[in-house]
Order: sequence, then C-alpha cells, then structure tokens
Amino acid sequence: MTTPPVPNRPVLAVRWRAAATLAATSLVGLVAFLWPFLAQPGSGLSHNADAPWLFVLIIALLAALVVAELSDGGLDAKTVAVLGVLAAAGGALRVLGAGTAGLEPMFFLLVVAGRVLGRGVGFVLGALAVLVGAFLTGGVGPWAPFQMIAAGWVGFGAGCLPRASGRTERAMLAGYGLVAGLVFGLLMNLWFWPFLASGAPAGMGFVPGDPVAANLSRYGTFYLATSLGWDLPRGVLTAVLVMVAGRPVLASLRRGTRRAAFGASGTFVEGHGTGRAVDRLER
Amino acid sequence: MTLAHHDYRLPRLLHPAAWWAWAIGLAMAANRTTNPLLLTLIVVVAAYVVAARRELGAASPFGAFLRLGLLAITLRVVFQVLLGGGTPGRTVLFTLPEIPLPSGSSGVRLGGPVTLEGVLAATYEGARLAAVLACIGAANTLASPRRLLRYVPATLYEVGTALVVALTYAPQLVDDARRVRVARRLRGHGGRGIRELARLAVPVLDSALERSLNLAASMESRGYGRSVHRDARSRRQATALTLAGLSGVIAGVYGLLDGSPAPLLGLPLLIVGSVAATASLAVGARRDPRSRYRPDPWATPEWLVLGCGVAAGVLMLVAAQRGVPGMVVQTSPAEWPILPWLPALGVLVALVPAWLSPLPPLRAIGPFDGLQDELQDVGATS
Repeated sequence: MTTPPVPNRPVLAVRWRAAATLAATSLVGLVAFLWPFLAQPGSGLSHNADAPWLFVLIIALLAALVVAELSDGGLDAKTVAVLGVLAAAGGALRVLGAGTAGLEPMFFLLVVAGRVLGRGVGFVLGALAVLVGAFLTGGVGPWAPFQMIAAGWVGFGAGCLPRASGRTERAMLAGYGLVAGLVFGLLMNLWFWPFLASGAPAGMGFVPGDPVAANLSRYGTFYLATSLGWDLPRGVLTAVLVMVAGRPVLASLRRGTRRAAFGASGTFVEGHGTGRAVDRLER
Repeated sequence: MTLAHHDYRLPRLLHPAAWWAWAIGLAMAANRTTNPLLLTLIVVVAAYVVAARRELGAASPFGAFLRLGLLAITLRVVFQVLLGGGTPGRTVLFTLPEIPLPSGSSGVRLGGPVTLEGVLAATYEGARLAAVLACIGAANTLASPRRLLRYVPATLYEVGTALVVALTYAPQLVDDARRVRVARRLRGHGGRGIRELARLAVPVLDSALERSLNLAASMESRGYGRSVHRDARSRRQATALTLAGLSGVIAGVYGLLDGSPAPLLGLPLLIVGSVAATASLAVGARRDPRSRYRPDPWATPEWLVLGCGVAAGVLMLVAAQRGVPGMVVQTSPAEWPILPWLPALGVLVALVPAWLSPLPPLRAIGPFDGLQDELQDVGATS
C-alpha cells in the first residue's frame, strides 16, 4: 500500500479565539516582564513590593487560559500522547541540565519540535515541558508561570519560522536557538530584578520612578555582570545541538508525525461488502 | 457515602488546595514585613507544620527551598559587600580595596567601604524573599503539586492528561537513554560530548514516539477518543467571558502602570478581569460529564486550614496598613528589631493546623516497622 498523502495541516491549528487569547497573554506577559521600565512615576505599581507577586498570579491564570483555548476541542488521543511524551523528554532534559551553568538542552527539543509540529503545539509543549521539569524536581515556585510563558514563546517562534530545508533550515534553527537562548535569559532575569530593589549592587538596581533610559542602562549592566555567563552557553549549546543532531532528530520527528497521521480522517470506501468504514490512514 | 470524613480525627490526606491556600496566606504575611524576627517566626511556623503534617515517605522539597532562600540572602549580601548598594550608610564595618573602573560605567563600583546599614538592608530584603520561598516549599511538601493536577478544570482536561502522561514517561525515557548508552558502550562506541548525545537522541526519541502512538491507540480503545460536544450557548458564554476577562486584565494592567489616578482603572478592573477569565475556565467545564476517581472531600478541616493561612495573611496586611511599629525595621540608622506582639500572634494562627488538621494515613500508622507489623498481622489473621 502506498503511503497516503498527509494533509499539510498543523497538528494544532491556532483558531481566532486562541490567537486572540495568545496575543493578549503575550501583551500582558511582556508587561509583566517589562513593567519596571513601563511604570509611570506615581502609578500604583512603581512603589509597591507586591507588583511582582501580582504578576505571578495574573500570568499563571493567563497561561492556563491560553493552554485551554489552544487545546479546546483540538486535542485527540494521539496529540495528547505525543505532547505528553515530548514534554516528558523536555522535562527530563531540563532536570539533567539544571545547575550546570545554563547548559539547558531542553531548548533544543523546543526549537526542533516547534518547527516540526507547528506553533500551537510549540507553545503548549514549551509550557508543559517547564511544568514537567518543575514537577520532577519537586519545586513549583513563583518563577514557574514566567518560565512557562517564555518557553512557550520559544516553541511558538520556532513554529513561525519561514519554510526552508536541508542545511539552510538547520542554520536558521541554530541561529534562532542562539537568539532564543539569549532572549529567554534577558526576559527571565526581569521577573526577579525588581525584587532586588535597593539590595541590588550600586548602579545595577531598579530605581522606581526613574526615567526609562536610566533603568534600562542599569539593567544592561546587571545583565552583563550576572546573567550573560548563563545565557550565552545556553544559546550556544542549542545552536551546536541543532547543527550536530538537527538532521536525524528532525527526520525522526517528521517520521513520527507522519506515522501518527495527525488531522487525517477516516473515509468510507465504496464496494467493500456492506460498506464498512475503513480508516485508510490507520497503518 | 458515609459522613466519616467529617470526623477530623480520622487520618486522611487533606485536600491539596487547602494546603496551597494556607501557604499563600502565610507567604502574603511574609511579604508584608522586613522584620527578621517576624520572618524567622514565619519560617519556623512553616517548618513545624511541615514536620507535623508531612506524609511519610513522600518527597520533601522543603529543604531545597530553604537552601534556595539561604542562597538568596547570601547572594544579596555578597553583592552588597563587593559592589555596594543603594542604601546609604555611615557605620563602616571594613573597607575593601577599591578597583577603579573606567569613567562612564554609570555608578558601578568594585570594592570600597562596607557599611553596616547596607549589609543589614541586604540581609532583611533577602530574608523576606527566603521566607516567601519557605512558605511555597512548605506547600510543595505538604501537598504535592501532582495531586493538585487532579483538580484542573475540565477545560484543561486534555492538557492535564498530557501532563500526567509526561510525568509517567519521564523516568522511562531516562531509563531508555541509559540502555541505549550501555548498548553503545558494549559495541565499543564509548565517549562523551555533544556528538555522542546526538547519537543517543535519535533512538530514544524514536522509541518514545513509538510508545506514544501505542499509548494513543490504547487510550482510544478505552474510550478516551469520545468527543465531548459543548453546546453553542456555553461556548458563546465562555468566549464572551474570555474576551471580557482579557480586556479587563489588559485595561487593569494599563491602569496600574499609568500615573494618572483614574478610580475606575487599575486594581478593581484587574480583579474583575481575572474573575471573568477564571469564570470562563469554569463555564466550559460545567457541562463536562466526566467523573473523578476518589475525589478528596472538602470538609471542616479544609476550611480550618484555609482560614488559618488567610487569617495570618490578613492580620499582617492590616498591621502593615496601620503602620504598626516593628513591621519595617529601620536600617539607617540601624536599630535593634523588636517583635511586635500583635502581628506575631497573627502569624502563630497559621500554626494551628499542626494540631487540628487530620493526620496523613501513613503517619497515623506510625513508623515504617509498625506498618510492616500491621501488614503481618493482616496476613496472619486472613
């Protein structure tokens, strides 16, 4: 039997409601990361120790909402199983990589899987992989919602990359992995940077009510001094892994999704006795 | 069903949401103060309840969270000592040799005088974060977040299932990787590094995908594939609530960031938006006909535990709003912290669950040899 043509549809289509929710969540998420620069002097947030905690709760709620909208009616057993197994791989990679100077091989999986399975699955997979890692290490902390959103963005972005193949594709994914690793760190620092407040080193702390440029330059100094050493290895590791292991892993994932035949529907075939339903794509 | 679970003396696991609400209340209390005595009291309360009501044999990440808190304090103090800080101080403890930096590095300095006030401020701020982390660690230990997974609303049912699948398969994946590695070693392909990792990835990923398709087939054969049709009305309701909630949250956040004091914008709008968003999750779940396997009851002990945590949080909130002396310790000039007795009593309310919540079942049986005796007794009598 010849392989039936696989419909070129994303595994998880992003419908308009999911898109609207995702856009709104990304907006609030960006604000949640960037509020130290956005808060006007004299606003409700600028002199408030609770602001970071407030955003933890909002982001947790919105992350749940996005995942619910993305998965609304679109997840069949195959998608659930593949998502689960890939999230398990991501979580295990995260646990393995934790603590070794930012060497997080999880990002490699997110980039590759987001590329193959599309942006919808990419987002859900990123969020789930972080959560699985947190569950496996036994610590769901206030950082989890932020990491979920940020890792979701990494997977989503990988699914949005333009069409390419072969060496070009790998180079593109490697470049994306490098940038994603750096930007992830740049954003993730921001969630705890305001906590440092007056305790931060001179010239590197968040001064509420200061002009944006001043706070930005102080954050830049803080980033260079503390975080770049973690983020650069992460980005480089992702890029190197994509270049070295990208081809077989991409092929393996594509083979797996072709066998799973997502989005295929059974058809009725004429002339088979009583006209029983034959799911052509089952095998 | 009997009403036996209303008897709080019967050993059982408390509803996980109750412990999480208790811990969030206590964390709220910790976030209101920089008084090291109050913060220590909060950590001690959390630790005591963990020691008294932790299920035996369960994983205990509490220690890890405490170490993380200590790390937060240490990092702050080290930063403060090495790089100076925003707190002006007069009492110089000692002076480190200062390394001159090129001009234009925007106020950054390396070394220089270390002041008592700066070190104290760094320690207090770090201690506040450490206390909040300890509360969250207590929640993680008392009620594993995996148990919370059972209570995700039905709108998140599929994703919750994927998460359960992931948690089940993660150890197997690690096992797979180990097996492939041993097999490669036996063939003389030893070695480390990224190239070896890449060779490992493909067989592990292939077998994982294979397994996931088998799992999907077995899920479908057990009726998972049955689609739940939501009627158009509840779908429309959910959509409206989602959109209203999102707009509310966005407008509320904008109001919070904006300096102009508009009474309608800001926190109230944010709260309304969040409630609408939560409601949209619940509305979608309302018509879900799935049943739960052995749900935890929500009875008096749950209300009690929740109430104790919330009471501690609210009492500290009120104390901070009223400006009770001792909630915030002066650092410049440095003064000796005193223990304000009223907020301290409020924190102690959160200690009540250590006695009044039901014992976890394994702990009620006693130490492990006791369990084995009991099993032997059962074997002997039957």
